[in-house]
Amino acid sequence: MIFVKRIYEWIEVRLGVKELVEKNLTGYLLPRNINFWYSMGSIILFIFAVQVVTGMLLLIYYVPDADKAYSSVTAIMNRVPFGWLIRTCHAIGSSMMVLFLLLHMLSVMFMGSYKRPRELNWLSGFILFSLVQVICLTGYLLPWSQLSFWATTVATNSIGAIPLVGQFIVEFLRGGKLVGPPTLGRFFTLHVAVIPVLIASVVGVHLFLLERIGVSKPPFGLDNTKNRWQGDAFRYDEHTGGIPFFPNYILQDMTSIAIYFSLFAAVVFFCPGIFFPNDAFIQANPFQTPAHIKPEWYFLANYQTLKLFPNEFIGLSIQGAAMTFLALLPFIDWGNEKHPLKRPLFMVCAIGGILLYIGLSIWGHYS
Amino acid sequence: MDQSTRRKFLATCLGAIAAAGGGATLYPVYKYLAPGKGDEGLAKTTFPESEVPAGGAKFFSFRGEAGVVIRNKSGKLVAFSAVCTHLGCIVQWEKEKQDFLCPCHAGRYSMDGVVIAGPPPRPLPKLAVKVANGIITIG
Repeated sequence: MIFVKRIYEWIEVRLGVKELVEKNLTGYLLPRNINFWYSMGSIILFIFAVQVVTGMLLLIYYVPDADKAYSSVTAIMNRVPFGWLIRTCHAIGSSMMVLFLLLHMLSVMFMGSYKRPRELNWLSGFILFSLVQVICLTGYLLPWSQLSFWATTVATNSIGAIPLVGQFIVEFLRGGKLVGPPTLGRFFTLHVAVIPVLIASVVGVHLFLLERIGVSKPPFGLDNTKNRWQGDAFRYDEHTGGIPFFPNYILQDMTSIAIYFSLFAAVVFFCPGIFFPNDAFIQANPFQTPAHIKPEWYFLANYQTLKLFPNEFIGLSIQGAAMTFLALLPFIDWGNEKHPLKRPLFMVCAIGGILLYIGLSIWGHYS
Repeated sequence: MDQSTRRKFLATCLGAIAAAGGGATLYPVYKYLAPGKGDEGLAKTTFPESEVPAGGAKFFSFRGEAGVVIRNKSGKLVAFSAVCTHLGCIVQWEKEKQDFLCPCHAGRYSMDGVVIAGPPPRPLPKLAVKVANGIITIG
């Protein structure tokens, strides 16, 4: 014990650990009425870490070559010890990441946490959400199954509806006129090198903003639910008399992660095939389009929107407009009120939007 | 139960659960990363006798390692591990000199695998070799 104490003292005089711990953990105060929804970010960070680790493990056996990719994934699933577990965790983890990002965004929306001065937190979060969708899309092609191949064909094809430059972008993305071996190389590089670095960087920015501006106060259980930002100068959003992040809120974070992990493990062990339709078990054949090819669940609403409009460009424009509206939400919703029940217009729009998204997804699934 | 005993008990339980969880995570990862035994552990290697010319050598893979079989001047076949006992490079057969040379650090072995020059500490390990119906079987 004396030896450990000496090492601690050696580090302490060099780095001032005590001060760091007090500033960032025990002295980092959060609002007393903080709730479970504030731990969504920690759950997403945990999922991202699991995705990085399982992704690295998959790289050991995966071969990014159109002739060998499918057989290498089959070998991971059937021959490599616990390969099925690593791959299933990675595949299901990607869906979980999108799901929990949506929940995180919804909780931020309903609690009005995106309101000034936290516009940049929302924007960086929105960029993260978009990057996660891109990393999911690029990863989807890598197993080189019929599902991967044709879902990528459909997804990349829709970009071709953009006037003038659409076809050029599609060919540039694919590395040719059609999805083929050059597409695999491009998507592989994006999936394992480019986008993870971008995501890690934007996560850094997101956390920096959280630390710099301070945690927002939830509007529940308060008499005054108005935004208390004054807008004249920068002020750290202090919560005097609040609860410390460590050990109090970290316990909530750990509890939420444990609950998430139970849900995740239940899917991995009891419904591992939930995200794998039959076409995921057939090698890609560029000359045979399977019937009823569908994208992943989180792209079903986009897929159905494209199908609803006879002109693909209109469908794409509507989606672009919806995404832009969502990205710029803090600049559009200027009101000071944060409590969702005191924001009727917001509630109507938000619930309508959620129902529309779910409805389009279900319609897309059964269409 | 006083407060400190209860705290100790809960901490022990939590530690045990964390250790079990850590073990349940690390075991599959270890098994995933551990080199596979595959089918080559006990496998024999076979090839036609005609592939080994008089005075020449043939290199082959044997149980995950490199092997070499030579036919000496009397026509007898001898097989060795081709891994140099110095630092693990693969030895080369010198047909003119009828010996093995390790190009890494100039270790030299006779056609019987015995060290005749350079740093190798041990002779080349011999491998069992059989010939039947024109097929050489190693192992």
